Amino acid sequence: MAEIRLEGVSYTYGRGTPFEAHAVKDLTLTIEEGKITGIIGHTGSGKSTLVEMLNGLIKPDFGRVLLDGEDIWADKKKLRSVRFRVGLVMQYPEYQLFDETVRADIAFGPHNMGLSEEETDERVREAARFAGVGFELLDKSPFELSGGQKRRAAVAGVMAMRPDVLVLDEPAAGLDPKGRASILSGIREYSEATGASVVIVSHSMEDMAAYCDRIAVLADGGLAMYGTREEIFARRDELRAIGLGVPLITDIAYELSSLGVPLGDDIYTVRGVAEALAKLIKGRER
Amino acid sequence: MHDIALGQYFPGDSVMHRLDPRVKLVALIAFITVIFVVNSAASFLLLAVFTFALLLLSRIPLSVYARGMKPILFIIIFTTVINLLMTTGGRQLFSFGFIHIYEKGVINAVLVSVRLCFLMLGSGLFLTYTTSPLSLTDGLESLLSPLSKLRVPVHEFSMMMTIALRFIPTLVEETDKVMNAQKARGADFSSGGLISRAKALLPVMIPLFVSAFRRADELAVAMECRCYRGGEGRTRMKVLRCGRVDVVFLAVFALLAAAVVLVNVFFPLFAFKL
Ligand SMILES: Nc1ncnc2c1ncn2[C@@H]1O[C@H](COP(=O)(O)OP(=O)(O)O)[C@@H](O)[C@H]1O
Ligand SMILES: [Mg+2]
Repeated sequence: MAEIRLEGVSYTYGRGTPFEAHAVKDLTLTIEEGKITGIIGHTGSGKSTLVEMLNGLIKPDFGRVLLDGEDIWADKKKLRSVRFRVGLVMQYPEYQLFDETVRADIAFGPHNMGLSEEETDERVREAARFAGVGFELLDKSPFELSGGQKRRAAVAGVMAMRPDVLVLDEPAAGLDPKGRASILSGIREYSEATGASVVIVSHSMEDMAAYCDRIAVLADGGLAMYGTREEIFARRDELRAIGLGVPLITDIAYELSSLGVPLGDDIYTVRGVAEALAKLIKGRER
Repeated sequence: MHDIALGQYFPGDSVMHRLDPRVKLVALIAFITVIFVVNSAASFLLLAVFTFALLLLSRIPLSVYARGMKPILFIIIFTTVINLLMTTGGRQLFSFGFIHIYEKGVINAVLVSVRLCFLMLGSGLFLTYTTSPLSLTDGLESLLSPLSKLRVPVHEFSMMMTIALRFIPTLVEETDKVMNAQKARGADFSSGGLISRAKALLPVMIPLFVSAFRRADELAVAMECRCYRGGEGRTRMKVLRCGRVDVVFLAVFALLAAAVVLVNVFFPLFAFKL
């Protein structure tokens, strides 16, 4: 179980060329232990750059990345073990599949860790279960899978390392609603079963509201807001100014309560609002 | 990864950038001819002044050109050493053990180094830094188009080159991404012997090949959908046009080149020859 702290990190792509892009600017953020943290922001706001700093794929130009208080760049030889502890699923990970079978592909990480065959096999099955990869798919070639199945296989490939911090860059992008829900709830199950901290990058406010304990809002390479979903979604107008907004159902709930309909606290998911409304209506019938 | 070639085009809006790519190609060929024809210090000095003026005209920081010289440093050192040690002729200047250095060796070494430097500067100045890869292939196609009368498939070649150039940055970016993704799963590309390193690259190469083939397929379909049928009767969105600036540039350039060659013939101060 682990906590990651980013201290004043900055990163610029193509420094000293005409294509310079300041992707992340002086950003400080703590990924809390055992929590699911959502990172949300526009395309180009620096989300991918930020998460690649978490496992040392990108070295910040300034600032430090602390994993349980230790600077991950202090000793470059330890970087590889950091990557086993902080598992990163990159954006569109289905393009990284390469091995002959799905099973072998998921086992790539555990093999690199030097685990025994039995241990690896157990981890592969556990990860396949969390990520929703059916056991009958394990002996197929990864190139025969559908898009959604490939995505799950790639997520399983990282879960199989059983990382203390699981980081996923837009794991649900481009999937159908059912696929989204099942992959995200698989991630939550992984977190609950292992106690791992999770970071999910997304630009869907609905997903954030449904799955995340903490939300970090990025804008233009900086941290615009950080807090619980209640704290974040209460700042509706600021979110709108950034161009993000709140979940549709939360907007509706706010409008209703301004009309004098008391809906209670859980106004972030359709289910929560539906139940509150049902209770109100039943109360009135009586 | 991002320092690879092609990142070399240095966007800008200077005269050098706006010239017709065909003019720049012709100018580069003339430039190269001149540096290999002349051999007197006076001519090289004159050439250096002209080149410097053009460098300034391109509005690209001189440090960029300086950085561009780095890759040929090794070649210069190598040829210099070979020339010094291997060439005999003229007075013997130095002798120690098996090392004998002759006058002609020194002259050759200097001449080759100077020519290589000019070659690098010239190709950066006329092409790599100031001409985008796409307009370069357009220029080439147009210059070579007379060959299509001889049934040389000029259009097809230039289309292939355009597509290849277009996808190099994509491929570089993708290599970067896949490497990162495998590193995130603990792949190790930098330790172990030659064989284990080559093996470690498999998880990168396979996804790259798969997606390159997929992309080629998609591109072919997309071209088919827009009724691509080869070069015949095809019109262009950006028509190359030789404007007044181009004509003036060519004229001035021709005069300068002539001047350099004439100086070499009539005032060969410190001619590097024996
Ligand atoms: N490899 C790269 N080279 C140059 N610029 C990049 C690269 N990757 C991202 N950028 C730039 O950095 C900024 C942040 O990008 P990114 O972190 O990918 O944002 P997000 O994931 O939020 O869409 C963008 O302006 C983008 O253009
Ligand atoms: Mg991104």
